[in-house]
Parts: sequence; structure tokens; C-alpha cells
Amino acid sequence: MAVMRMGYAHVRVTDMAEAKDHYANTMGLYETHSEGNKTYYKAWDEWDHHSVVLEEGGVGLVKFGWKVEYSSDLDEIEKRATAFGVTVERMSKGENPEIGDGIRFTTPSDHVFEVYHEATCIGTEVGTHNPDAFPRHLVGVGVPALDHALITAEDPGLMDRFLTAVFDFYPTERVQTSLDSDADIIATWMTSGNQIHQLAVLAGPNSKLHHFAFRLGDWVEVGRAADLFSMDDVPIDIGPTRHGITRGQTVYFFDPSGNRNEVFAGGYLAFRDRPMSVWTPDALGKGVFYHARELNDAFTSVLT
Amino acid sequence: MPTVRIHPTGEVIHLEPAETVLSGLYRAGYSYTVGCRRGGCAICKVDCRSGEFSYDHPIADTVLDEDERTDGTCLSCRAVPTTDITIELRGEDVRLVNPFLRQINEKARLRAEALAAAPAGPTTQE
Repeated sequence: MAVMRMGYAHVRVTDMAEAKDHYANTMGLYETHSEGNKTYYKAWDEWDHHSVVLEEGGVGLVKFGWKVEYSSDLDEIEKRATAFGVTVERMSKGENPEIGDGIRFTTPSDHVFEVYHEATCIGTEVGTHNPDAFPRHLVGVGVPALDHALITAEDPGLMDRFLTAVFDFYPTERVQTSLDSDADIIATWMTSGNQIHQLAVLAGPNSKLHHFAFRLGDWVEVGRAADLFSMDDVPIDIGPTRHGITRGQTVYFFDPSGNRNEVFAGGYLAFRDRPMSVWTPDALGKGVFYHARELNDAFTSVLT
Repeated sequence: MPTVRIHPTGEVIHLEPAETVLSGLYRAGYSYTVGCRRGGCAICKVDCRSGEFSYDHPIADTVLDEDERTDGTCLSCRAVPTTDITIELRGEDVRLVNPFLRQINEKARLRAEALAAAPAGPTTQE
């Protein structure tokens, strides 16, 4: 059984015209579809129909989609989620444009997850036959792909257990109150494969979004992204800097509705048998912002 | 143009046309508690003690609840005053981070006041 990746992040925006300008012209996503009050995007190195969905009205997260490797995974995840005590409903092909049958449930943290196996394949912008390294005419930052998200939950430890039991995720790093075996989990970084994290969960209110992130290649690309944010008057929360946790290089910034985005590069390869890194609150500043070594007040308080 | 008076310090900020409260504070050299600056996170709320303002974007119900739309709560990054207003900050005071901008804003405010006080008549070049 395998959840392969976060397939899509579906978020609310207050003003679609401004949001489209940000995600298309600053981030460089490709619009693949629009209907009613929703616009669908993919990034250049993604092949499925969409990875970002914008819905006009409000701010914050609508739902995440998770793509599994086998159609039988849907039954297995439904079984596991039900056993965990979560109510699971079936979703039909077409409920989300170009997405196949799947399941939908609300996590113990009050976030809506959809799990699916099929999506219409559009193909990457470089194709598969003798592909070039990147498309020549990228727009703005030109992010290649959606990468991960950070959500908040009243009980991150419960979400750690939930994602382990239902998605077969494992934690690569955690923030704990202490190194004792009965320590409380303050935050957890979880993945199904070698990607350093696919979903992180931080202590905070249920149902909230901290950020969703786009992948970049290296420091140079992260720095160039920050330059473009200044050119386009995109509010930067912090960065460019490094996270101690994951070792990723980052800029946190906000879309025109106030949803936090991130560009994220690097991060070491994760393996199930690699001993988990544990951070304690005395070093949390360094863990989150490796250079400033202190949290800004927005890190724990600014959510949508 | 409307002005923003900060209670209780009495500082008066001159706004440009269609400028938000938060933008005016920053353009006058001040810093305040801010998050997304785009109306989504609700961190930059202040209280409006007098005067009128409107919002230049739709504001999500998760950011401003029904009561907050009428009780003087002012989401400073999206609030555009339509009259002179007096605001009270929450939690902390503004921090002056660029005194040169403050001087420029002060001159602009005095010019606007002098213009408003001048007797009506044919417009003359300044």
C-alpha cells in the first residue's frame, strides 16, 4: 500500500483575479481548467491534471488530495481509517474534474482529505521523449511541482498516529516537549517515501492551514524566487533561510488572500530505517529558522 | 485626504487616496504587528474609536465575524478610511523604524491641513 504524494491542495481565495495573477504570473503555474468559482493549475514538471485548486470565497484550506499507487489502496485506506474511528465516504469520478473514484474523510484535526488513484494525465511541459531539462519559457518563479504542506492540529501526536495507521506514513523529525518517552509531540514531519516530508503537523487550532509549499532545486532558485517576490510586491514572511528541521532552504510568503505559501529546496533523503531527529523547544527557533535562530511571532499565530 | 490618529499617543498619519490604514502606518515610517498583509490572517486588527472606513477587498468570515463587522474592529491591512479616523492598537504600540518617512508624512499632513484651511477661491499653484 502506498500514498505516493500530495496530489492537490485546494484553497480558498478572496479575489480570484488577484489569486490568478499570483499563482500564474508570479509562481508560474499553468492553468488547466476553470469552472464556476474554481480555477485549476498544474506546475511544469507535474503530469496529472492539477495540483492546485483555487476557490473564490473566504481563505484557508478546502481539502488536500492524496494519490495512491493502486486502486486497491483505496479499500485498504478506507478500512484503516474506519478502524481508527473516522467516517469515510466514497467519492465518484468527476466530483473533482479529471479525478477518478476515491474516498473522502475528515481527519481528527478537522482537515478534509480525499484519496484517489486516477487523474487525467496531461504530461509534463518537457514531455517524455528525449526531454529537455526544463521548459525554456517559464513564467516568474516557474516552480516545478507542489511539494508538501504544514497544517495545525490541537493534538499533533494524534495526527502522527493517524497518519501512521491510515496512510502508512512515518515521522522523519519531531518537536517534543522533552526526550522522555512520555513527552508530548509539538510537531511532526511525516512522509511515505524518500521525500523528507509530505505533510507536517504543528500544535495549534484544528482545521487550519499554516502553508503549502512548492518545490525548487537549490539555494540559487530560492534566492531568485525571493527577488521575484520583491518585484511583484508579494509579502515575504521570512527568508531566504534554511530550516534546521529537514535542512530545507526556504522562503515563506503570502498569496494575495493571505494564505501562506513556501518555496522549498533540498532536504535530505528520508528512509524508514533512519533514526528520527528530535528537536526540543529550547532549540525550536534554530529548528525552524536555522539562521535567525528565533521564531518570528507570525510562525505560530498567522494561519488561514 | 483622511488622516489616522493613533490613540492614545496622538500621532497623526496622513494617508494617500485609497490607502489602507496599515499601508499608511508603514509609509509614515512605522511598524506594527503584521502577518500576511493581505486580509487573511487577522493579526493586524486594531480598534476604530471614531470615524468611518470601508474594506477594499472582500473579507472572509473566518477573519471577521459578524460582530466584528459592526463593533469598530478594523482589519488594518484592508481598511481604507473614508473620513479621518482614530484607532487604538491592540497589544503593542507602533514602532518607529524609519524617522525620515515620518518627517515626510508629517510635511504632507501639514500641507493637506493648510490646503483644507485656505479660503475657497481660484486654485493657485503651490
